Amino acid sequence: MEFLSPATWEEALAAKSAHPDAVPIMGGTDVMVELNFDQHRPSALLDLTRVAELAEWGPDGSRVRLGAGVSYTTIIQRLGKHAPALAQAARTVASPQIRNRGTVGGNLGGASPAGDSHPPLLAADAVIELASVHGVRHVAAREFYLGPRRTARRDDELIAAVLLPERAGPQHFCKIGTRNAMVIAVASFCVTLDAATRTAGTGIGSAGPTPLRAVAAEEFLTAEFDWQGAGPLSEAAVRHFGELVASAARPIDDVRGSADYRKHALSVMARRALSWSVTDYRKGEAQCA
Amino acid sequence: MTAVTNQTISQPLDRVDGPAKVTGRARYSAEIPLPGTVHAVLVGAVVPSGRTNTIQTGEAEQVPGVLAVLTHANLPKIAAQPRLFPSLFGHAAVGETFFPMQDDVVHYAGQPVAMVVADTLERAQHAAGLVHVSYHTAPSTTTLEQGRDRAYEPGRIFGGLLPGRMERGDPDSGLAKAPVHIDRTYRFAANHHNPIEPSSTTAVWEDDRLTLYDSTQGITATRLTVAELMGLPSSNVRVLTHYVGGGFGAKAMIWPHVALTAIAARYVGRPVKLALTREQMFSSCGHREEQEQHAVLGAGNEGRVTTLRHHKLSATSPFDDWAEPSLNVAAQAYSYPNYQGSYRLVRTNTMTPTFTRGPGEASGMFALESAMDELAYELGLDPIELRLRNHADADPLTGNPWSSKGLRECYQRGAERFGWRERNPAARSQRDGHWLIGSGTATAGYPVPAFPGLQPQRARARLYADGSAVLQAGTQEFGTGVATAMTQVAADGLGVPLDRVRFDYGDTELPNTAPAVGSAGSGMVSSAVHSAATSLRDQLVAQAVAQAVADSESPLHAADPSTVVVGDGRMMLRDRPETGETYSELLQRNGVEDAEALGSWQPTGMDTGYALTTFGAQFAEVAVDSDLGLVRVRRMVGAFAPGRVLNPKTARSQLMGGMLWGMSQALPEGTQMDSRMGRWANASLGEYLVPVNADAPEVDVEFVEVREDVANPLGVKGVGEIGQIGAAAAIANAVFHATGHRVRELPIRIEHLLRSA
Ligand SMILES: Cc1cc2nc3c(=O)[nH]c(=O)nc-3n(C[C@H](O)[C@H](O)[C@H](O)COP(=O)(O)OP(=O)(O)OC[C@H]3O[C@@H](n4cnc5c(N)ncnc54)[C@H](O)[C@@H]3O)c2cc1C
Repeated sequence: MEFLSPATWEEALAAKSAHPDAVPIMGGTDVMVELNFDQHRPSALLDLTRVAELAEWGPDGSRVRLGAGVSYTTIIQRLGKHAPALAQAARTVASPQIRNRGTVGGNLGGASPAGDSHPPLLAADAVIELASVHGVRHVAAREFYLGPRRTARRDDELIAAVLLPERAGPQHFCKIGTRNAMVIAVASFCVTLDAATRTAGTGIGSAGPTPLRAVAAEEFLTAEFDWQGAGPLSEAAVRHFGELVASAARPIDDVRGSADYRKHALSVMARRALSWSVTDYRKGEAQCA
Repeated sequence: MTAVTNQTISQPLDRVDGPAKVTGRARYSAEIPLPGTVHAVLVGAVVPSGRTNTIQTGEAEQVPGVLAVLTHANLPKIAAQPRLFPSLFGHAAVGETFFPMQDDVVHYAGQPVAMVVADTLERAQHAAGLVHVSYHTAPSTTTLEQGRDRAYEPGRIFGGLLPGRMERGDPDSGLAKAPVHIDRTYRFAANHHNPIEPSSTTAVWEDDRLTLYDSTQGITATRLTVAELMGLPSSNVRVLTHYVGGGFGAKAMIWPHVALTAIAARYVGRPVKLALTREQMFSSCGHREEQEQHAVLGAGNEGRVTTLRHHKLSATSPFDDWAEPSLNVAAQAYSYPNYQGSYRLVRTNTMTPTFTRGPGEASGMFALESAMDELAYELGLDPIELRLRNHADADPLTGNPWSSKGLRECYQRGAERFGWRERNPAARSQRDGHWLIGSGTATAGYPVPAFPGLQPQRARARLYADGSAVLQAGTQEFGTGVATAMTQVAADGLGVPLDRVRFDYGDTELPNTAPAVGSAGSGMVSSAVHSAATSLRDQLVAQAVAQAVADSESPLHAADPSTVVVGDGRMMLRDRPETGETYSELLQRNGVEDAEALGSWQPTGMDTGYALTTFGAQFAEVAVDSDLGLVRVRRMVGAFAPGRVLNPKTARSQLMGGMLWGMSQALPEGTQMDSRMGRWANASLGEYLVPVNADAPEVDVEFVEVREDVANPLGVKGVGEIGQIGAAAAIANAVFHATGHRVRELPIRIEHLLRSA
């Protein structure tokens, strides 16, 4: 197995272009597990940890640009204001050790339907920046997940960053696991209320072959919510929102939970997350994680 | 008897091995560097029943560095099969009476069918993947459900130690006469111990002498078992084990991989190391069996329980009648005059189940204490009041008085600390946002091992002329704090300062003690150490006061030994402490470099006229999100009366760990059998869930002091397991109080509580 260790982003892109089979490794918290279990033996590993800019983040016009190699720990410490749902999600990932190494880029690279960063990226309408020697493309998170662990990233591309729209309202992330930490989600859910565009966003995790959106639920909420006066939603509307979220899921039965439970849990989480968000919205102090 | 002035027993001393452990200096069995060591990897059967057809080893043998591929075709046969008998008794102690790779029969998935030895671990692992085994698969039974109609009543269980059926009074008429009945069935998933250190063995031969570095709870058990299996004189087997990374019963009996390592080492003529993988730990060291318990209580309207009928049905292996003794403590817990207990077994294609922390007590007291809680609600009685009304003032089994009990004080002190009286007794009466809040209690009980036929416990004490001392006993430190507590016992027994004593252990060449099982470790080993230390002390005092010997220069010459006290390494007259001399002065004056004494203590049998059991009371508060079926334990309080507490710091850790085990038993933990494949479905720590820090509630441990004069010289009843007993029931009872919904199955799962929404 070859070990490629580029020092710059240009070298990294060149290496990926020359070795499209090379498996990028950032935090290694997925890659090393797969290697240890001998799940596959890649011809080459492409170490990205020396590429300094991958671990950087900062404003980028009206958005926040989050390098693909920023750790969950940094997200928790620094991005609570800009991306509260992503920070909430980061807080639920694994353990401190894993959060020190694991990254959103790695979560996107693996694209497990249970990955905790996906629902916030979907709900907040984030954009994934992909790069290759041929140039840079921007793909909306909502277009990124194509099938089970299949994404819009091409073989010669690397994930450079995630672009997070400026937050303009409350965001809430919920996750159900079989214990309080070190746990893969049984189901997860994220909702955003964007006062600027007057749209609602959603993201569903661990309840389908890919991370999902509940489009009908978003449309319903976008139309139903009193964006101007922030009046409370009726109990029936909240319940309906929950049902629409549950019906968007395409879960299976597995060791962590049954399909029925996942749907049920999604409707409960959706109702709760919406109620918290509406309360935050009304307070006008768009809630931070 | 000479008195000792310094007191280190009962002080919360830091662990003597703490720095070695936190700095990584402590070496666990698999970490000891031995030159020339090669590596063995086991290949387990992938089917649960049948025979191996072909085992193709050619490809594996071609891997560079491979020294041997062993199968039933070429593995040297064992000399004898020891019988299954609890290791506590000090004999050879196999975990099951089946030894793999003697023929082509497959009894359970994971059973070793081949073993690869290579110069590196990676090569051995790689080659193990190239051993191609085909099978003639036979139908299998791996769950209670599949074998229920073939259940049988064994004559005896537990290595023949316990009867399969017990009765006192007249249970039938007791139940017929009782106006109130609770008649319930409780189900329990299998459990695996999952100590953080997987088992490992390194075997080194020198001519016909074998040294084993084994992660075991009993070095002597390893020695005797391997000697018998291999037909070696016991004296030719030496076992070295200093640190063990937890055992919880997984290392209480000696499993086949240990002797397999020794056989492989002899075969290749090199030291061989075998370390089980986490996944292999699920099919190599036994487990707590899947079981079902049917408990029937008959009671009067005022809450007096007159009858308990307690029947257990559980899964065992194809070859051993093993059930963890779930009925015993429950049979003694309250003063019922009528009692009936029975075990029934189903033969399944698993290995023989084994001791798992709180072996029997943890499951049996879940059933009993859940049923008692149901009775309390049925009668509208406070659960503690119900238990007090049924308090057993004497042992209901024998009528003997308890050597010590303290249970009433445990209820009282635990209830105070918990704030039990402030609780609204009505179920589903407390809410905090979307959480339903509830609290529950349960009784804890665990026997103090007292059996005929236990081996004498021995230790050696040696004091050097410079005043330093070493105490030696053949035990091992598996995280309980035994090395620390024994240093304290030694210092007090000898009357020397703590920092002048070293406790030396972990080697079968040292005097023999019982394995660290059954919460017996500290009671057994402290008795031996205390005996050795006080013998040496008495010997030195005798020498100082003696009139007939050449040395008459001691200031204590001709004194009455009963007037001599020792402290800080100095012998002196009680009334005139200025008259005396140090041990060093005595030895140096006589030109003697050291003095030595052996101590021996015969463990208590059953003829003391007393019943020996440790008691406690558990309290738990839970929050249940009934929309989502989630349970969070918010706080736990446990009050225990374990007799003498040698070191409150390590004892508290043991009890706290036990309570968290109880929480784990109640909520996340359970091994699921995939009955289609006949294999454990969740054989990894990713899927076999144990609590993490974020799940751990506030745990409050309270010691209730009782005077214990029967169990052993220092009055130690043991703290290793009592912390777990009753904890799961307290949690399930709290779940009922929170939700009004009774869960009679462990672990409590989301699906159980969704129904309570
Ligand atoms: C004990 C444990 C617990 C865990 N718990 C959770 C959890 O609770 N929630 C959760 O979501 N995940 C969890 N994970 C999974 C893992 O930590 C996350 O998926 C993490 O985000 C991966 O990030 P990484 O930087 O370590 O990725 P790596 O392991 O380095 O890479 C992961 C994948 O992404 C690819 N990749 C990495 N960087 C790039 C890039 N710049 N461009 C293209 N491809 C790239 C890699 O080739 C690989 O396919 C857990 C893992 C472990 C070991």
